[in-house]
Amino acid sequence: MKFEGVDYYNVDELLSDEEKMTKDMVRDFLEKEIEPLVVGAFHQEEPLNMRELAPRMGELGIIGAVIPKEYGAAGANYVTFGLICQELERVDSSLRSFVGVESGLVMYPIWKFGSEEQKNKWLPLLAKGEAIGCFGLTEPNRGSDVASMETVAKKDGNKWVINGTKQWISEASVADIAVVWARTDDGVRGFLVERGTEGFSQTFQNHKGSMRAGDVGELGFSDCVILSDNILPKTEGLRSTFMCLNQARYGIACGAIGAAMDCYETALNYAKEREQFGSPIASYQLVQDKLVTMLIEITKGQLLAYRLGRLMDEGKARHQQISMAKKNNVSVARMCARTARELLGANGVSLDYSPMRHMANIESVYTYQGTDHIHTLILGYDITGIPAFAQTQ
Amino acid sequence: MPNMIVCVKQIADPEAPAGSFRVDESANQVVPAAGVSQVVSPFDEQAVEAALRIKDAHGGKITAISLGKSFVMDVIKKPLSMGSDELILLQDPAFEGADSRSTAYALAMAIKKVGEYDVIFCGRQAADWDAGQVGSGIAEFLGIPSVTVAKKVEFLDGKVKVERVTSDGYEVIEVSTPALITISNELGEPRYPKLKGIMAAAKKEVPTWTAQDIGADASQLGTAGARIKLLKVFQPVKEGKCEIIEGESPEEAAANLALKLREAKLI
Ligand SMILES: Cc1cc2nc3c(=O)[nH]c(=O)nc-3n(C[C@H](O)[C@H](O)[C@H](O)COP(=O)(O)OP(=O)(O)OC[C@H]3O[C@@H](n4cnc5c(N)ncnc54)[C@H](O)[C@@H]3O)c2cc1C
Ligand SMILES: Cc1cc2nc3c(=O)[nH]c(=O)nc-3n(C[C@H](O)[C@H](O)[C@H](O)COP(=O)(O)OP(=O)(O)OC[C@H]3O[C@@H](n4cnc5c(N)ncnc54)[C@H](O)[C@@H]3O)c2cc1C
Repeated sequence: MKFEGVDYYNVDELLSDEEKMTKDMVRDFLEKEIEPLVVGAFHQEEPLNMRELAPRMGELGIIGAVIPKEYGAAGANYVTFGLICQELERVDSSLRSFVGVESGLVMYPIWKFGSEEQKNKWLPLLAKGEAIGCFGLTEPNRGSDVASMETVAKKDGNKWVINGTKQWISEASVADIAVVWARTDDGVRGFLVERGTEGFSQTFQNHKGSMRAGDVGELGFSDCVILSDNILPKTEGLRSTFMCLNQARYGIACGAIGAAMDCYETALNYAKEREQFGSPIASYQLVQDKLVTMLIEITKGQLLAYRLGRLMDEGKARHQQISMAKKNNVSVARMCARTARELLGANGVSLDYSPMRHMANIESVYTYQGTDHIHTLILGYDITGIPAFAQTQ
Repeated sequence: MPNMIVCVKQIADPEAPAGSFRVDESANQVVPAAGVSQVVSPFDEQAVEAALRIKDAHGGKITAISLGKSFVMDVIKKPLSMGSDELILLQDPAFEGADSRSTAYALAMAIKKVGEYDVIFCGRQAADWDAGQVGSGIAEFLGIPSVTVAKKVEFLDGKVKVERVTSDGYEVIEVSTPALITISNELGEPRYPKLKGIMAAAKKEVPTWTAQDIGADASQLGTAGARIKLLKVFQPVKEGKCEIIEGESPEEAAANLALKLREAKLI
């Protein structure tokens, strides 16, 4: 049966035909083609084969959906992109991670800060899923505090020489192209580093308890030499980096609600069928209280994501508003995954049901793209005017 | 390049559990619960797919036609988003209460108005009532040949080669155009719409034709044109009884079971 997600406040009525049709298409595609692969990938920690799946997603137009048509993408709006993320994460956070990274962290910077040659070379390939990109910002010693990053790029004639390590990078080991942020004499700049470049290594990182269906790894730069036209010419310090993060954070705000919706639906259906003490557990007040709490938080999160999408489309979204939606909606997903897990009793810890997998995945989502604390600090700074990020500002 | 027409019907999701449908015995109607979504009848999506495969190979034009009421635009536009060129909706109170015959008549009149066509596709049956008569009915009204339950359709100039599903395999049939072909699920999965196709479909203006627009004879439409009368729709009462057949040994139990079955005149 066609899945009908929880929509208590008729948010669907606010969507255009285009947005609704996209949501249905992505849902249908994922249910038939990808969902059956996810549990195995998670269990084995053998990432979904994006070499095979990305071209199929690309053909449907769901990678880099907001990038203009002239570069081979769909030129859709942000609400559509958000719904794509919601459906992807309803299945598994690693899928939304993939599309979020490709769209917001790889295609977006190339489109915004790249030269015309860079755009023409990479955007159509990335949109089709024929090339895969990654985004290298986090380092072993620098996570939240990206301003003090240690990776450096030194200009040497018409070349750049990069040294440093990027850790916890989604799609690190499969990427054909890495958008890498490094310190230069001229502040932080973005660079494009291609697979196979001398001095550039890409490794897969296992032993994760979260995002096990996705690829995460390390990028190493040891006197890695790239030509000077591989710099993203229009990057201007960390401001440019944060513009990319805003794109991906919006995708997370929408995606996390997808994961929460799946947890809620799973728990509701289970509670209606599971009988204990002579009646369905859904008939007990304690259980109803939990279901209702999930429903209310999901509904608020949906409205937040929807409104943010419209603001993005109008070009009016402030980054603090994006922070609020990311922080809130990921917390909602975290709570729903845990609650659904609980309502499923022992079955809740089994990977045969989705909540435990969502619960594990959401821990990554809670931390990446700005930890929950960092978004609190961004909002705190915004309303008080007092930055509280560092001991001495 | 072939001109193709595909007839598609919007129905309540046939995969919704039986329990979400209610039978209104006084009105002789089956009423889906509020939460059941509308979809394009799956066989009709496959009919669109059959046309698209021909378009992929030969080019041409695909016009989808749907007769119904309460169209949900993001559902009924799916044939467009998959790659059809036009969509025409037939909606008029005069069409209501139709049986297969009066539905086929209205669709045939609309197809005449479209004008040029080489191949008309329908699903083998609509997945709500499963009557499977509209396709052949349209062919009859248009006076053209029809081939039912196809699993593969090839367009050759002036004729169409069809693989038609039979109970133990398939037969290969050639039919001259214009022809009507009904498509079976053996054709394979319909393609997913692409985001660009969805965006174009959402923007596309879709005309709605009334009985007058298609020049239909009112006495042939809807209830007036129906030749079949639905007498009774009801929910059968299922009685489940279970009896354990005992026996000292498995052999004896089996013999007792055989005896019981014979008494019940089941064997
Ligand atoms: C699955 C996964 C995929 C990832 N993919 C990518 C990727 O593709 N590209 C990329 O660049 N990075 C990626 N990351 C890394 C991610 O962005 C970082 O983990 C994140 O920014 C946090 O950095 P950290 O892990 O070093 O934690 P830290 O910054 O060391 O933080 C540790 C804890 O301290 C808290 N903290 C830090 N500073 C403060 C403060 N001032 N006040 C209060 N609390 C504070 C944090 O909130 C956190 O709870 C990924 C991470 C994961 C788990
Ligand atoms: C790793 C693991 C090891 C285990 N080992 C053992 C073992 O060695 N031996 C053994 O016998 N069992 C074992 N168990 C089973 C465990 O004891 C049960 O899972 C537990 O008793 C809950 O039962 P259930 O899973 O059937 O959940 P259910 O009883 O179906 O409960 C599902 C949900 O409904 C709620 N609920 C149920 N009834 C009510 C009510 N009246 N009012 C409000 N809420 C209600 C529950 O709190 C829960 O949230 C193990 C479980 C796990 C996960």
